[in-house]
Amino acid sequence: MKLSWSKYELSKSYDEYITPKRTVRGHLRKIGNFFESLSFNDLQELDSATKSAIKSMGINFRVYSDEGSEERTWPLDFIPRIIKKSEWNVVEKGLKQRTKALNYFIEDCYNEQSFLNSGIISKSLITKSKYFLKFCKGTKLPNKSWAHISGSDLIKDIKGDFHVLEDNLRVPSGVSYMLENRYVMKRVFPDLFLHYGVSKIDEYPTKLYECLLDATFSKLKNPEIVLLTPGIYNSAYYEHSYLAQQMGIDLVEGSDLIVKKNIVYKKTIEGLQKVDVIYRRIDDDFLDPEVGNPFSVIGVKGLIRAWRNKNVAIVNAPGCGIADDKAVYSYVPEMINFFLKEEPILPNIKTLMLSIKEERDYVFENIKKMVTKPVSESGGYGISIGKNLNEKEISKLKRLLMKDPKNYVAQPLIDLSTSPTFIRDSLFPRHLDLRPFILSGKQTYVTVGGLTRVALKRGSTVVNSSQGGGSKDTWIIDA
Amino acid sequence: MLSRSAKHLYWLARYVERAENIARMIDVNLELILDFPDDHSLNWKPLIDTLDINQLFERKYKNYNENNVLNFLFEDKKNRSSLNNCLEMSKYNIETIKDDLPKTANISLNYLYDHILSQKISKVHQRRKLQHITNIVSMTQNFFGAINDNLSRGYEFEFIRLGRFVERTDMISRIIDCLCISKGSKQTHDFSTMEWISMLSTLSAQDAFRKESKGEANRGEVITFLLKNDSFPRSVFRSLITIETCLKNLPKNTKLLQMINRIINISERSKLHNFDDRRLHLFLDNLQKNISKIDSKIHSTYF
Repeated sequence: MKLSWSKYELSKSYDEYITPKRTVRGHLRKIGNFFESLSFNDLQELDSATKSAIKSMGINFRVYSDEGSEERTWPLDFIPRIIKKSEWNVVEKGLKQRTKALNYFIEDCYNEQSFLNSGIISKSLITKSKYFLKFCKGTKLPNKSWAHISGSDLIKDIKGDFHVLEDNLRVPSGVSYMLENRYVMKRVFPDLFLHYGVSKIDEYPTKLYECLLDATFSKLKNPEIVLLTPGIYNSAYYEHSYLAQQMGIDLVEGSDLIVKKNIVYKKTIEGLQKVDVIYRRIDDDFLDPEVGNPFSVIGVKGLIRAWRNKNVAIVNAPGCGIADDKAVYSYVPEMINFFLKEEPILPNIKTLMLSIKEERDYVFENIKKMVTKPVSESGGYGISIGKNLNEKEISKLKRLLMKDPKNYVAQPLIDLSTSPTFIRDSLFPRHLDLRPFILSGKQTYVTVGGLTRVALKRGSTVVNSSQGGGSKDTWIIDA
Repeated sequence: MLSRSAKHLYWLARYVERAENIARMIDVNLELILDFPDDHSLNWKPLIDTLDINQLFERKYKNYNENNVLNFLFEDKKNRSSLNNCLEMSKYNIETIKDDLPKTANISLNYLYDHILSQKISKVHQRRKLQHITNIVSMTQNFFGAINDNLSRGYEFEFIRLGRFVERTDMISRIIDCLCISKGSKQTHDFSTMEWISMLSTLSAQDAFRKESKGEANRGEVITFLLKNDSFPRSVFRSLITIETCLKNLPKNTKLLQMINRIINISERSKLHNFDDRRLHLFLDNLQKNISKIDSKIHSTYF
């Protein structure tokens, strides 16, 4: 039996492959037809080929729960997510604009504070935030880059237009899976790549390396760069090791570094060697027991002193988390106006502050249509989707929100777009998002596409791999 | 190279090599007992003596019988040199450096790990026991083979080789010490040609020995061969030379080279042929102490 799009179970959401009239969208005709030429057996075979390639390459990630942690094989759906080049070009421009504004905003927060004093935003929202690090005050960084590496989560709404859902500016992860997904897909689907002009994505490690070079304070031609990981038990350790290997730099743990007279060294078999740039994958609070969590064993004592003396660059810079906050997110359009004198290219999702009474009243009245989120969590934790709650849960949620309204925002529930996804034995629509990665050095670089995450449960919009989400290879094609 | 990586490489090699030598000792003892089923002076105690873990053993067991000794050498958690622990430690050490090693090395280590942990030794049928243990030796050889054939020569390779040969020197000297002295002194059993050959075979040395010394396998010949032969890779002398070669390829090696050269000189000059048990024991004991000093110096210099 062959696959037929006429039998594809369309939902109310925007499907990226199939129109409501059950025809294949114009730019996808070729690949749509290709899939219709396949039998269900072929689909099964492609699925097992994908899984075994991932297994043999050892692509995995670690999930933590109350019972402990376990290593899981990376979930990749072999149906690619496809975006037209012309559409992507606009997104890319929008992301560059947005990231630039955010970086200017961070530097401004720690220096002149002109945006905070402009009356656009409540100043205390920033200066009282736990992510506002006082020791960053007065620091200026090369190219005004604070969040050198960021990842913005994009979604398509019911009309098929991209919106920014959130910006991840602290230690965003996932880029290695984007690269590995492509690597696997080329092995499973070589014929498709031959017939489609799929844009390459493999320059990322080179661009990342250049971005790290741009971050240095040192005048050396070949500054010493290391990647600092919390260690093998971190959920993203696979990525840390992958990126260090791809860039040919040392993957270090906190105990491999030592600070003497405000200079950071790594311990090598030849003795101590000065380090100029640290690509850290450790949260601010654990970086340096002198200023953050005093019990941190994964950090390096004195690191912040060395950074403040401009003897070492830390990427992303300490304190950049101030812009990674779902309340601050709602001011990004204003930041773009303020710092760049431009109109935002990529729209935000309307965000309501629970701390403002009128907005809170609106949210409470329409709670079934809203999503509420804690302002400073990541990984999809703490999110409540109103339509999934019963009366009892709603009153519980309202009590929680009232307890600490500053800590929560609400957004209207967006009907995320779907794409055909292989489930059991056939293709079904499943909701998607997209995380492109943006590098801010002398120039701003955006990955070609990004990591597409897909919610594997029917109707679900939770795409996080730690909560049962999967992923897809993302193709930017000329069409 | 990061000090931490060097340390992991060094200890990875030491633990795999230790597992191999312990498996070899068990293997030969099993065979020997099959050859002399009625000789009750042959027992399993020397294995525990060799590793110097009698106290630990006696805290748990009264009798040095086959079951107790095998359980202790295979599975005991408190025995740091049990095969289980050696493999756990190898796995721990390879974890953060496996990307620097050939993939096949990691795969071989996984096989070895699964082989040893899949079954308790007491549950292995008598008929398959010997094969079970011989397999451990071939699997460790697989692991080192994967590294020898696929790893570029550089610091990574040298630290693995260094760890392997430091461990080997230590283990060979223990094996000789134990088999000679404990058996020789008891006098209850005539330490026959057969047993000298078994000592050689513990170290896969019988063929090499026959080629080199055409004569009979007697005490003096065998001991001289295992300690002083300059071409057999499992002789003490050859292992010391290999350690020297590794150190020559590493930075900051002046002090360490002085130390190893002193040990090599002593080994070269000593007239082992005339050594009685007591002097041989002192000689080997000294060798072990010197190797332990080299190990400490490696730690303080590189890690």
